[in-house]
Amino acid sequence: MALDDKRRRWLASTLWLTLIASVSGQADADTLTVLSWGGAYERAQQAALFEPYSAATGTHIEVAQYDGGIEALRHAAAEGDGAVPWDLIDMTRSEAMAACAEGLLAPLSPALLAPAPNGTPVEQDFVPQAFGRCSITHSIFATVVAYRRDAFPGKRPDTIKDLFDQQRFPGPRALQRTPAVNLEWALLSYRVPHEELYDLLSTRRGLDLALGRLAELDDIRWWEAGDMPAQLLTDDEVVMASGYNGRFFDAMVNRGAPIEILWDGQVQEHETWVIPRGAPHPEAARDFLRFATTTERLADVSRHIPYGPARRSAATRVTTHPDSEVDMRLHIPTHPLNAERALAKDEAWYARSLGRIDDYFRAWLEAQEGK
Amino acid sequence: MDSLPSRPTSRRGPLAVVRFLGLVLFGALIGAVSALAAAAFVGAVLALNDLLLISPRSRMMFDRPGLLLAATVAVPAFGGLLVGLLHRAIPEQRPHAPADVIAAVQTRRGRLPARTGGLSALSALISLGSGASVGQYGPLVHLGASLGSLGARLLRLGRSDDNITIACGVAAAIATAFNAPLAGIVFAHEVVLRHYALRAFAPVAAAALVGYVIATSVLDQGALFHVADTAVPRPWEFAAFLVIGGLGAFVAGAYMHAILSITRLAGTLPLAPPLRPALAGALLGLTALWVPDILGMGQETLRFATLAGAFGSAELLLVLALKIAATGLCLGMGFSGGVFSPALVIGTLFGALCGSMIGQFSGAPQETFVFYAVCGMVAVTSPVIGAPLTSLLIVFELTGSYALTTAALASVTLASPIAAQLFGRSLFDIQLEGRGLDLSAGRGRAVLRATAVTEYLTHDCVTLHPRSPVADAVTALSRARHGEGYLVDDRGRYRGCVSLADLEAARESTMRPACVGEVATLARPVLQPATSLWDAMAALQEVTGEALPVVDTAAEGAFQGVVYEASIARAFLAQSDELRREEHGSG
Repeated sequence: MALDDKRRRWLASTLWLTLIASVSGQADADTLTVLSWGGAYERAQQAALFEPYSAATGTHIEVAQYDGGIEALRHAAAEGDGAVPWDLIDMTRSEAMAACAEGLLAPLSPALLAPAPNGTPVEQDFVPQAFGRCSITHSIFATVVAYRRDAFPGKRPDTIKDLFDQQRFPGPRALQRTPAVNLEWALLSYRVPHEELYDLLSTRRGLDLALGRLAELDDIRWWEAGDMPAQLLTDDEVVMASGYNGRFFDAMVNRGAPIEILWDGQVQEHETWVIPRGAPHPEAARDFLRFATTTERLADVSRHIPYGPARRSAATRVTTHPDSEVDMRLHIPTHPLNAERALAKDEAWYARSLGRIDDYFRAWLEAQEGK
Repeated sequence: MDSLPSRPTSRRGPLAVVRFLGLVLFGALIGAVSALAAAAFVGAVLALNDLLLISPRSRMMFDRPGLLLAATVAVPAFGGLLVGLLHRAIPEQRPHAPADVIAAVQTRRGRLPARTGGLSALSALISLGSGASVGQYGPLVHLGASLGSLGARLLRLGRSDDNITIACGVAAAIATAFNAPLAGIVFAHEVVLRHYALRAFAPVAAAALVGYVIATSVLDQGALFHVADTAVPRPWEFAAFLVIGGLGAFVAGAYMHAILSITRLAGTLPLAPPLRPALAGALLGLTALWVPDILGMGQETLRFATLAGAFGSAELLLVLALKIAATGLCLGMGFSGGVFSPALVIGTLFGALCGSMIGQFSGAPQETFVFYAVCGMVAVTSPVIGAPLTSLLIVFELTGSYALTTAALASVTLASPIAAQLFGRSLFDIQLEGRGLDLSAGRGRAVLRATAVTEYLTHDCVTLHPRSPVADAVTALSRARHGEGYLVDDRGRYRGCVSLADLEAARESTMRPACVGEVATLARPVLQPATSLWDAMAALQEVTGEALPVVDTAAEGAFQGVVYEASIARAFLAQSDELRREEHGSG
């Protein structure tokens, strides 16, 4: 109850500040503008975050859509002389890191977040590296391998090594036409420990070893658009494919495709909330951020879309999908059963070396295709 | 024997228990300090490697190729220069290492100098941070030992306890660095203490345990290497592991000799000592432009060597030879650092070489490849540090695999004895022998060898002038109740030794010699001031008499005094008793 008191006081002060802000001539905080991804993702946020927040506070939330990238924010900040039209943006962590480095975002402190219901402090409840200088991770999505359930009678792949084992699991594969994720999996198939992975990939020897493993696969279909892998699997053009776990879930549950996700070696990436510098209502945005990252709200988001909540206390509270009654726990990347052998993508490493890795990968790809 | 100091009764009872528990608690405290220092050291090395573009990760993330090439050569060279300058502040002009710890404990001196310990740790940090091909465990062991010894001095503990606290610091450093408490305990016993006593075991175990807890729960650091569940080798492969062990002894020998002979060569170089490591660093950097695997501690190289197919056979041989040369160069030319981490890399490369050759000839699938790599690793490291049990335990505690440990056991069975016969118990022992401390016959002899006879020198003797009359000499000897007199001339030089019996015979004889100098002298070996107690005992074997004269031949044969046979015997018995108490006493 003490928590509620604190929260009410905090809310009151926020409202007071907002009042002052509106008196002093800024736009009023009756409406918060959130920039997010649209589609099923927005529908989930609408049901689990925006509507409950409006109901609790009376603040209306207006949603603008984008497809990622920080150009729009950069542009808006330059145009508006520092003022931008959005209060909050839903960003991938790597983009948040870049935008923060450019000074486009306001700093955020984990201190503004609510502790877990059982009192676990925020730092221990959130997944590692959830707090950036300007961003707070709310959900985690994963790039995973999915396979056709009917492709390998009597057995099923259970480690990422099996992606490269075409003797036991024959058939074509679909992989994303990028070095990211493919290199990690290829090196993991040698059973190197996760914590050494990016150190080893930093050497010419490690890159050659990984590309050597990829070269052993015959018949790779390289995909670029995110809906391709699920399609290729559904059409039985490939037996295994890499892709985003949300897309595979959609194909599996909503379209009944006979596919299954291999969680071993899943590469996790973070979705974060950020508040841009020059946001119209930064205080109200912080209040929303606190509301939207409570254990209860995070667990509710994961009932609508198979993204893992960033809090451990939320991961175990996820229940069934409100429409299809599917048990969502089995489909989110951060559930303990799925996350046992998860790999955290080293975004700092990619941010600084992607150019060189990309060149190396493309040169290899061209040499392969020339053969 | 009844004159020996014996206090069996005072060593039992409640007070002794409290004292002993106090020592165990103190051991745990030293373990904590040493573990934190070790963890800070390791963290600082990693941070420096990232900052100075040594670690592959930082090199990959750096996007200016020209500057990267320049840094590869300049960083080790500058690091070497700094290290060289730092070593001028150490009395011996060289960094202290585990060999110095062993010497201090084996001669029961204890008392490791704190300032030199700190300077050695700092220079090792710079060496490792700037990418020299040296190890980090040696400096950690020395750092832990120095902290332990410092603790003993702060509490004004005796030398026996000083040795135990040194072992505590060593055990905690190893337990922290490897996440391996058992290996830490065994290393402290096998390499540093070299005897097993309950009295030392409990504090050392407490220190290792605290180090392990700090490493795993507070610092949450990963293990040195992981091996997933592996296949079980076929029976014939154990024969291969034995052979790898035998051959590994020679690789270890080559490695140790590379270090020793480059050390000798470096001494003859017409180059100021502070510039030698700088030259070595520049050469290392230049070679690393071609083969980057030799730079630094080589964690990535170590990992790749355990993966089948990461290296070709020719490549393995090349990197193996270059790593031996690079480590010999760095350590020989005066970088500060250990010998263990490079030996891990060299051994694993050697094992991988054997594994890939056997794989080629037998055509067998490579699912047991990691066994060969680990066998090679143990076969090379165990002779270098002279610790077969520690090497085995490190494998066991890091992998948790009984099959791997058994394979390593097969390998170490041949490696250790062959290397001990051909080269010496360990690199440390060979180095100490070069400095005049021979530990091959154990601690008892080392202690006697390290004690100079001058500690037992006395002036309580009768000196006679060669020209003094015989009758006066007889009187002087009789008054002093001595049977022997020592002839010392005007310039204080020793001229011989005469017995009272001979003097009396001369006085009574018809020849009547006029002065003492004409009386026949006794055949009596003389001791130098620097003669050790051990050599004095050897000299005593051919003598019956009261005492041996100590004569400084460097000062034209100046007579310094005598050492009584009885005091040598007493010193020997006292030393043996101390050792016996240390090794067999329980409290």
